[in-house]
Amino acid sequence: MSPALVLIIAIALAFDFFNGFHDAANSIATVVSTRVLSPRQAVAWAAFFNFAAFIIFGTAVAATIANDVVNPAILDNQVIFAGLIGAIAWDVITWYAGLPTSSSHALVGGMAGAAVAKAGWAALIASGLQKIIVFIVLSPLIGLLLGFTIMVSVYWLFHREHRVDRLHRRFRRMQLVSAAAFSLGHGANDAQKTMGIILALLIANGQVPANSSVPIWVVLSAHTAIALGTLFGGWRIVHTMGSKITKLTPVAGMSSELAAASTLFFTAHAGIPVSTTHTISGAIVGVGTTQRLSAVRWGVASKVVWAWVLTIPGAFIVSYFVYLPFKGLG
Amino acid sequence: MRISRRALFFFGVALVFLLMIPPTPPQYRWLNLSKAGLALFWAVLLGIEDLSNRRRDFNLWKDDDPPDLPSGD
Repeated sequence: MSPALVLIIAIALAFDFFNGFHDAANSIATVVSTRVLSPRQAVAWAAFFNFAAFIIFGTAVAATIANDVVNPAILDNQVIFAGLIGAIAWDVITWYAGLPTSSSHALVGGMAGAAVAKAGWAALIASGLQKIIVFIVLSPLIGLLLGFTIMVSVYWLFHREHRVDRLHRRFRRMQLVSAAAFSLGHGANDAQKTMGIILALLIANGQVPANSSVPIWVVLSAHTAIALGTLFGGWRIVHTMGSKITKLTPVAGMSSELAAASTLFFTAHAGIPVSTTHTISGAIVGVGTTQRLSAVRWGVASKVVWAWVLTIPGAFIVSYFVYLPFKGLG
Repeated sequence: MRISRRALFFFGVALVFLLMIPPTPPQYRWLNLSKAGLALFWAVLLGIEDLSNRRRDFNLWKDDDPPDLPSGD
């Protein structure tokens, strides 16, 4: 392996770490805001299940990132480097602003921007991007509907229970399971994006044959990086997600996490890179609407939506300009 | 007769799922259809709940004894 390749793999893993730092905090937002676990315990819990995801899920999302966003023939060290720098820069900017945007879409936007700077719009694979963009809209709505449905079902099932304290204790225990499920979904989705990038890099450098599966050391290092990122997680985003969008009880936290986890399990299985942030936000809104629409703080929710809308174009533009000097050198 | 904002909200969600069918890759369109169906189900149920609540409120008002009015001499 050349030093340049090692450096870019290190940057990809750093991106994964920041992904954990930036996004994985969402895994623990509800469990912290309902006080089921302390922030420290919740972070350790989420990090463990982020890592464990590699045992359960395949690498379909990694294959989509490696082959379906940008024409693999266009990808080289410079394009991937510029794409990663653009995505990391966008993540840092939105983290600083306290906005729960999607690292996944930052990565897609970054790769697309660098590829277009190198080879024009023809470098993009329309069908792959279409799938990703469609699920930018669908994933939060699926989370919303499932969140509402699960919450109402729980109300129906337990409406005769009058011992509220006992019920709360039961749901607090259940929330440990739902938080673990969501962290598994998060690990399966987000760690795979980095795997996809490293796989594309290895193919471009002739280290593995085209259409190769993801090497196990890539799988393990990507999951380790995201788990470590979660351990150092971003509390500003926890605060936005867990308490500003709507107030949560243990039953609401459990319902929103189960809804988001179900959505993420489906997308990980189908190989669709979605945002865990979008999904859990939609689920929290869905759970909030079981009370009344005004229980959801729409001002915060709309701020989040704007951050989502801007992510792909923002990372695209940054990566485009990061790549330009390489073009000049070439 | 007024339907609540929640019922309309879920009707809107169903509409978005249906509008997203053309750009959705064919292998995932079942997802749009099933979720649109679920959203419509909730919209209808919430609408029925609104109507039945209003009717119950109306009946309660009708069955109650008329409020005592101050009587003059």
